[in-house]
Amino acid sequence: MSEGAQGILKPAQNDPEFVIQVDGVSKVFQTPSQANLDALTDIKLDVRPGEFVTVVGPSGCGKSTLLKLIAGFLPPSAGRILFQGDEVRGLNTRVGYVPQESKLFPWLTVEENVGFGLDSKRYSRADRERQVSQFIKLAGLAGFEKYYPAQLSGGMSKRASIVRALAYEPPVILMDEPFGPLDAQTRMVLQDELLKIWEQKRQTIVFVTHDLVEAVALADRVVVMAHRPGKIKDIIQVPMARPRNIFEIHRQEGFDEAYGRLWNIFRHELNLSAR
Amino acid sequence: MSAVGVIVVRFAIIGGFLLLWQIASGPWIEPFLISSPSRIFLSLIAGFQTGDLFQHTWVTFVEIAIGFPVGAIAGISLGYAFGRSKLLAEIFEPIIIALNGIPRTALAPLFIVWLGISLWSKVGVVFLLTFFLNFFNTYTGMRQMDQEYVDLARLMGVKGWKLTFKVIFPAISPYVFTGIRTSIPFAVIGAIVGEFVASTEGLGYFIRMSAGIFKTADVFVGIIVLMIMVIIIDKIAEMIERRALRWQSQTEHIQIQA
Repeated sequence: MSEGAQGILKPAQNDPEFVIQVDGVSKVFQTPSQANLDALTDIKLDVRPGEFVTVVGPSGCGKSTLLKLIAGFLPPSAGRILFQGDEVRGLNTRVGYVPQESKLFPWLTVEENVGFGLDSKRYSRADRERQVSQFIKLAGLAGFEKYYPAQLSGGMSKRASIVRALAYEPPVILMDEPFGPLDAQTRMVLQDELLKIWEQKRQTIVFVTHDLVEAVALADRVVVMAHRPGKIKDIIQVPMARPRNIFEIHRQEGFDEAYGRLWNIFRHELNLSAR
Repeated sequence: MSAVGVIVVRFAIIGGFLLLWQIASGPWIEPFLISSPSRIFLSLIAGFQTGDLFQHTWVTFVEIAIGFPVGAIAGISLGYAFGRSKLLAEIFEPIIIALNGIPRTALAPLFIVWLGISLWSKVGVVFLLTFFLNFFNTYTGMRQMDQEYVDLARLMGVKGWKLTFKVIFPAISPYVFTGIRTSIPFAVIGAIVGEFVASTEGLGYFIRMSAGIFKTADVFVGIIVLMIMVIIIDKIAEMIERRALRWQSQTEHIQIQA
């Protein structure tokens, strides 16, 4: 059994070992017809600082909802979420959030977008400028500082959106299928860049995706979710070495095993629903 | 059709119309009913030469210059407040909609009663007409706004004035400008209606008096000056809008090098 599965069993308490502790969280939505929709049921998940966790599952399994709960956009219906030991109540301003669509502020330039979260109290003007230019370079957007988001291609706005969340250095970044709408090649390039950035910064990342290869390729641990009701089916450890080569991820040792385990779970799911 | 062609045809139509008007006035239709382009032009020159027309234009302009910005700012602020506060919107929305149902120019006589026949009654009518259009457009913008921008900004620790002016207002600015620009002609209507009801000066007064003594050319002069005033104010607003919304127009795409 994977090490993560033990994490499920362990009772969550105020443990400094974990940056995020999702403790028996459920989320029920009320549909317009007054029916209850169980989006998430009894989710338990602990995330260590510096860990890259991916959450994978079919659409409608509540994986985006889980991120929204951690970010504090929504309150849980039951259970609680601890962030660095404190319960999340209201917006969790200690996380960075990369939404599905880039959602760059269209009225700000690339530079202003990336610097948006750099509060003037925490960063002096010089620090701010240094930080912004460093992250713009990291995202390969040097030369595009003065461009507006409408002038960028899909891949470029995606990168800008990611470094906007990274630039003010929140301890945790939540990413909600950020590469979903991109073509396969751009996607791989961005996955590669994301890993390179992450290896330098080592911020904790919780990354939601529906792509099994992506889930394995990026993660230290893959959280597998099932739907109706949304719950965690399993947590798979990915023992692949880093740094990883995204472009030849299939050849890397450990990929096949982890992917095989993941696929087994989903095959099981598919068979069930086919019957 | 080429761009030049369009302009040529446009001017041909306008020129043809003016020519027809000039020819028709006199032999076919009584000049005191429709005047003629040449008479109107001469009256316009004469009006500005004596300085009378300047005075009337100035009076109307001042009414608009006070009532319009105040009305626009009040409307935008209230639209914003309603968008931010569910409670406020819940309480007042039906009231505002009911008030909006009143034909507002019908209130002009009341304003005369309340504020006298001088400047302030006209300012009041201008305010009223400007206010509602700006209010409704801003409020619509607040409801249509992509909430995710606000959520993201707040997650990034932005709140208070910075949230209002760096996120919310830019996000709704297309709606705000639509409100401002559609309300410009209505602001002018407000001033003129106020002057029609009771006044001793202003372009509305000038038009009404000229019509009363069948100086048709002067009526048209008044209308032309008003038209020019609307166009100038709108052009200024358009310039500000284009500057403020320049992020919208710049859509030339760049190929990604990935």
